[in-house]
Amino acid sequence: MIYIIDHNDSFTFNVVHQFSKFDEVICDNYDRVNNDILEKASSIVLSPGPGNPKNYPKSSKIYKKYKGKKRIIGICLGFQQILYNEGAKIVEQKNIYHGFQSEIKVTNNSKIFNNNSVFKVGRYHSLKLKEPFNKSNFNITMRCKITNVAMAFENNLDKIYGFQFHPESFLTLNGNFLIKKILSA
Amino acid sequence: MNNINKLYKLHNSNQPYIIYKSNNGFKLYSDFSKKIILKSKIDVENFLNFKSNKKRTKKTDLFIGFFGYELLNNLIDIKLPKQNSLNFYKGIFYKPESVISINNLNYSNSYKKLNKNFKININKKTYTKIFDRFKKRIRAGDTYQIKICTKYKSKSKVDPLDFFSRLSEFNLAPEAFMIRDKDFSIVSCSPENLINKKGEQISTKPIAGTVKKIDKMNKSKALKYFKKNIKENKEHNMIVDMERNDLSKICVPLSVKVSKEKIIEEYRDLFHYVSLIKGKIKKSVNNLQIIKAMMPGGSVIGCPKINTLKLLNNQEKENRNIYTGSFGYIKFNGDMRFNIIIRSILNFKNISEVAVASGVVIDSNANREFNENYIKAKALIDLY
Repeated sequence: MIYIIDHNDSFTFNVVHQFSKFDEVICDNYDRVNNDILEKASSIVLSPGPGNPKNYPKSSKIYKKYKGKKRIIGICLGFQQILYNEGAKIVEQKNIYHGFQSEIKVTNNSKIFNNNSVFKVGRYHSLKLKEPFNKSNFNITMRCKITNVAMAFENNLDKIYGFQFHPESFLTLNGNFLIKKILSA
Repeated sequence: MNNINKLYKLHNSNQPYIIYKSNNGFKLYSDFSKKIILKSKIDVENFLNFKSNKKRTKKTDLFIGFFGYELLNNLIDIKLPKQNSLNFYKGIFYKPESVISINNLNYSNSYKKLNKNFKININKKTYTKIFDRFKKRIRAGDTYQIKICTKYKSKSKVDPLDFFSRLSEFNLAPEAFMIRDKDFSIVSCSPENLINKKGEQISTKPIAGTVKKIDKMNKSKALKYFKKNIKENKEHNMIVDMERNDLSKICVPLSVKVSKEKIIEEYRDLFHYVSLIKGKIKKSVNNLQIIKAMMPGGSVIGCPKINTLKLLNNQEKENRNIYTGSFGYIKFNGDMRFNIIIRSILNFKNISEVAVASGVVIDSNANREFNENYIKAKALIDLY
């Protein structure tokens, strides 16, 4: 079972819909998380949402508690939430992408996706990961083809994954494939 | 008595009645046996709590009316701060005993120009301030798109049928409606359907993007115009993903599909950039849950909905009343049709109120959006 932790977002149920293709999904808002379900879940997904990771200490707590014990996937805000907890700085970016389809490229760090493959994805983010960011076992595995901004990471040791873009958006062409690979990695 | 004469007779009487655009013309709802005034969340929950019965399919087996903006906020547990208010009804539904079809209205009243002394509630300077504040919130990631509402008000007494028939002549909108009751009237040429539910099928048809039919503009040129315009596309994409999300709350997993993606719909005077999203409703979901998932309609609020509503409400000094609420009907067999109340005039206590809104996204411009609001309002104000 996959437990999706919502951050009052207007895209989270697209995530729920997408993950339902692969497993049973339960979703609750971050301020109403059920600890029993959390314990039972095989994977935890931190949803997209408005604002900054530092606004969601409850989600940070969940991440820290289950890091290394369960598969954890972060999308957009969730991606930032995980990296923030790993010491990264999340900052405003010059060019803001809301409802924008752009091309991203897989880097040679990925153990799941083929190096240099290109995906068309939907983006909704004001903030980004400040680089350089170095943390052992965390590798940036996808980047924006034009701006080079970090678009995905993998931590294959602890099974922690994140996408800055939205695999569930109708603007992302191979979203189901991306999720399938992450869930079976 | 033919149908149009029945309308005239109703209009000249004191009886309340409602007109709603249908496929081939209009439907006239009257002889109301019940009038349900909704004041709170609990009222709405009680009202929607009736058991649907598939066999009840008479034309009059329905409630028709509206939910105001405040009520729709309360329904999803968002409280409005203290605002200036006309104390207009928060929501009303009627049970008609007569439903008839009317092909066209051509009601010609001895039309006199009315007082056109409309006052705007926020001037350009204030608008720009609000706009800049919201832009900062977009930069910080608190919202991705937010609609600033401006209101135009004037003291005047209008003949709603005269207004509605002239409005329909200029702009035959697919979700147009009017309500005439003893102490108020509403006239709207809404183009936007929010909920169309038949059996277990549901669809929503958001509009984001409008272009006027000026000379030589045709459907394919309009499509090219929108496809090239990155800002319009981004705004539209956001709404499509948000509506997919809202449907996904109440639909069978994997049944939600974008069945028409960014097409052009042609109306008499303008082109709209439209998508159609469909899904199959879960067996366990009732009409109250559907309304809570879909309303207030995202395309007129912004995105993400909850945070954006809070940002909006904290800055709006005046109650929106009907504006960005929903009008429509709930049939006793469970089917529903609801629009989003925009391009509307509310007449209450001899005051006419026109509200309009346009969106702030990261690359919009305060001057342009303020003027767009004015153009939208002008189409209605010109009726006076």
